[in-house]
Amino acid sequence: MALSEAPVRAQATAETTRRGRRRPGRRNAGSLTHPTRTAWALVSPGLLFIAVFVLVPLVFAIYISMTNWPLIGSYRFIGLDNYSAVFRDAAFRDSVLYTLLYTGIVTLPIIVVGYLMAVVVRAKRRGSTLLRTIFFLPYVIGLSVLSFITVLEAQPDSGAINVLLKALGITDGSTAWLVSGPMATGLICVLVVWGVSGLTMVLLLAGMQAIPRESYESAALDGASWWEQEWHITIPMLQRTIAMSLILSVIGSFLAFAQFFILTQGGPGRETTPIVMYIYQRAFVQLQVGAATALSIVLVIVVGLISAAQFWLLREKD
Amino acid sequence: MATASATRPTARPVRPRAAGSAAAGARRESPVKTVLYVVAAVLSVVVFLVPLAWALLRSLQPDAVITAAPDWKTFFQLTLDNFRNLSGIGSIPRAIGNSLIVSIGTAVLTTALATTAGYGFGRFRFPGSGVAFALILVTLMIPFQAILTPLFLELNAMRLTDNLLGLVLFYSTVNLPFGVFVMRTAFASIPGELEDAANVDGAGTMRTLTSVLRPLVVPGMATTALYAFLASWTEFLGALVFLTRQELYTLPVALLNLQQGAYGTIDYGLLAAGSVIAMIPCIVLFVALQRYYVAGLSAGAVKG
Repeated sequence: MALSEAPVRAQATAETTRRGRRRPGRRNAGSLTHPTRTAWALVSPGLLFIAVFVLVPLVFAIYISMTNWPLIGSYRFIGLDNYSAVFRDAAFRDSVLYTLLYTGIVTLPIIVVGYLMAVVVRAKRRGSTLLRTIFFLPYVIGLSVLSFITVLEAQPDSGAINVLLKALGITDGSTAWLVSGPMATGLICVLVVWGVSGLTMVLLLAGMQAIPRESYESAALDGASWWEQEWHITIPMLQRTIAMSLILSVIGSFLAFAQFFILTQGGPGRETTPIVMYIYQRAFVQLQVGAATALSIVLVIVVGLISAAQFWLLREKD
Repeated sequence: MATASATRPTARPVRPRAAGSAAAGARRESPVKTVLYVVAAVLSVVVFLVPLAWALLRSLQPDAVITAAPDWKTFFQLTLDNFRNLSGIGSIPRAIGNSLIVSIGTAVLTTALATTAGYGFGRFRFPGSGVAFALILVTLMIPFQAILTPLFLELNAMRLTDNLLGLVLFYSTVNLPFGVFVMRTAFASIPGELEDAANVDGAGTMRTLTSVLRPLVVPGMATTALYAFLASWTEFLGALVFLTRQELYTLPVALLNLQQGAYGTIDYGLLAAGSVIAMIPCIVLFVALQRYYVAGLSAGAVKG
């Protein structure tokens, strides 16, 4: 442990000193004389990271996707074969459909639950700060750890979920949640809504706090009810924030992996395999890196389009 | 439901921050709203806090109790055995150490890179800055999940797979765009007069940064560091792909091994205890520093 810790620290120190030396050099020149050089010196380390670990892999991906690259061994160029295979790949199609289903189920509840949380905590009342913390805690803990906890609570007869449902008289308490596709999907959706709505709450809360108070006061004078104020003032003024939360949530669902990998490993069969897990299996289990990378490119394009829509939506009114 | 409040013009303190300045009138709420709030609060605590407390309780139960239908005679016979046994599995303490190294390393590196870049973007106007910043924004649109295979091959060629430094570099890149965003906002919101005054007083650029600007951007740095730490502490897919040697596993991957019984039998007591250990830094750091965390998220949200 101590051995591997050293290089990390050394690396961090090296970074600091390197930058530390660069800045005094600038002092003589003065930020007015050579601001351009200084500014580039400041931003280039970050840009270098982006170039090496994002742009290079992205370009590399386009190349790999046109080969039959196995993880180990030689490869040859096969043009667009991997891409035409994408459309014939029934397993990929299933994973896309499953991801769409999952996204379709969780998106609206995440927004609604997040919105309700924000409504509960937005005014300064006794305990509202504490409530915000509580709502956000699951998100901070992260879906991977939450999934591990869920594993034991989903066990038939002994897990809390079954014990609770039995106590409420809903089931007999022997449901094996994780071995049935629909049951596992339902469970994961509840887990995700529970776990990530806090993020939507924080985003919406920021938007709500930016709405001028006078808007509500005049509406209240006109006799608008709580619901009318919400519908005619809050929601229209939050349009951008809601759109952004929605898109962030959709992208998150498209890229879902950990909760499925931990809770179902994609099973039974391939029933609960989302896109990222399918790509992972093709690349790192079946070792078909070329084909997997072609699928990745398709995913980059889809997520890129969703993100582009986000920027477009947010920029529109500026 | 809430019609009663409609007759009270000042019944809605929607903006707690602005309330102090403008709230001259009475801010008394209708009893209906207070009752609703209390009900919602109690319900929220049950739904959001009880499961986490329950997980803590589980970590103090032996496997035999966890996997049996609850018998109230044994249910509350709590023990620290799980934690004791976990520390006996060499891989787990090592995984905790690995996770700490990776998360702290990522927090430090991300904050250093984001602060310098944020300074450059936030306080300098230079040709190409638009393109450079757009490049960073574009990165926000490219999910790392989708470039995992080429990234794996590249890191492998650089001998950075099965390497904690490789994971730190990877996580830092993933967290960088958000960090640059936060730090650029932090630097840009400082009034220019402050810097000018420092210049007039004869402070060099370095001096200006460390004594005039630094205190003003520390909250942004805290946001960036906290965000990077938490994101890398719980990250799963990258750690799963980039690490294959057991002695390098981070905590989430080691927990997967626990779940699958790679250390012998499947023991849910150990899994519960391991999960609780993974939860603790997140909860402690977030509760202690949530002001920064939420501020950072909101800045990204509103100004994005």
